[in-house]
Amino acid sequence: MSQPNAPIRLAVIDADSGFVRVLAKRLETMSWQFRALEAPVPAHELIAMRLNALVLDVSLLGPQAWEYIERVGEGIPGLGLIVCTGRSTVAQRVRALRLGADDWITKPCHPEEVIARVEAVVRRRKRADIRTDRGPLVAGELEIRMDQFQAFVGGQNLDLTRREFELLQLLAEARGQVLQREEIYQRVWGYAMAHGDRSVDVFVRKLRQKLESGSPGWRYIHTHFGIGYRFQPESRDGAAPPPGPEAVEPAEALEAAEAAEAVEPERSTSTA
Amino acid sequence: MRFRRAAPDERLLTLLEEAAGNARVATETLRDLLADYPERRHLARELLKQEQDGDRITHDILHRLAQNGVRSPFPSSDVHALAGALDDIVDYAEQTADSLGLYGVEAPMEQAQELANVLAKAGAAVEIAVAALRDRSELGSRLVPIHQLENEGDRLSREAIASLFARGIDPMVVIRWKDIFESLEQAIDSCETAAHVLEGIALQAS
Repeated sequence: MSQPNAPIRLAVIDADSGFVRVLAKRLETMSWQFRALEAPVPAHELIAMRLNALVLDVSLLGPQAWEYIERVGEGIPGLGLIVCTGRSTVAQRVRALRLGADDWITKPCHPEEVIARVEAVVRRRKRADIRTDRGPLVAGELEIRMDQFQAFVGGQNLDLTRREFELLQLLAEARGQVLQREEIYQRVWGYAMAHGDRSVDVFVRKLRQKLESGSPGWRYIHTHFGIGYRFQPESRDGAAPPPGPEAVEPAEALEAAEAAEAVEPERSTSTA
Repeated sequence: MRFRRAAPDERLLTLLEEAAGNARVATETLRDLLADYPERRHLARELLKQEQDGDRITHDILHRLAQNGVRSPFPSSDVHALAGALDDIVDYAEQTADSLGLYGVEAPMEQAQELANVLAKAGAAVEIAVAALRDRSELGSRLVPIHQLENEGDRLSREAIASLFARGIDPMVVIRWKDIFESLEQAIDSCETAAHVLEGIALQAS
């Protein structure tokens, strides 16, 4: 969900406060979004941070370092992982790179070098993203274009904000599945949802208004009271969805959605 | 020393009632603003106008009090304190609305909506209590709901602030909402301050 010119979101897992402070000071001037973590956090928390890159001192993890690198690499394919640690052997460096690390920097190191290597890793990731970019996702009359961060109906731009687009993309990619408010918030806003926060409801309402205005004959987002929301295009007159490029959605994602829908107990549902 | 009852100055009582009425309207405006935020964010402008009205009324009260020949039905210090508390209710309500815009709040929190509901009830209770100044025999019983609402507001506010410090919440959310919860609580506290002043007046009248 990263935009081409968005600031790099970086987290550093390192207990060396001096190193982290110097790096943070330099990054402040570059407008990067930076988070310093003194201890490793589970992969799902890293996902929620919506990072572009992670700089990790493996010495904090001891023998668990290899498993952690593998888990993060597999769990967050879009994340650039740079190991930055003290002296190491060739075997250790090779092992980390083979398990999923993108680069290895040996301390002591200059913050400029760390930044340059992070930039290089993120650049490579972005090029790979562009190469593997999927085509538009079509649902009902709606065409969701990831490359333009926008949705269209009959070629007409729905004028979604970035947040609205990310919300629509998340819901549409989980087509047929009920997503809980907390999960939606974590994936779109990048943080845990505070108890009582109505952001998801407000943004779903805004998104619905735009979808309704652009495609009045269709219903897309369904409310599951007390739980969350489900994306499922439904024609208001009961007509079948128009034939077309719906197949551009990955087949396995569709299958997963259908399987999830088959087992999902249907609770009280309202549609807008 | 008991304060000697004087013939009430009609204009002064009317101004105090006007101030209490303005406080009630301001708290209701804030409640409505938060209930449907951001759909009715234009209500923040109305609150700003109510805050300016509150300042004008407070000025008129103090000016009236300073006029030669005007005899307050209760000590001037109580009139000052009451006018100040009524003005504070409106000021904190307006500050809350202003913070929503200032901090770029995109959506409300349920706890803020609950606090605003309590505040609106407290504002209405204050208006009723101030109206009872004309016949002070009923004043004491009019103050009980204000104290109860303040206790409820206190509890809600503490729980709301505590909920912000759960793990993994965006620090910007914490900063914004802690301030907003606190200004809502201060508005409710000002209702209780008004109740304390009225309580003093009621005791002097008994």
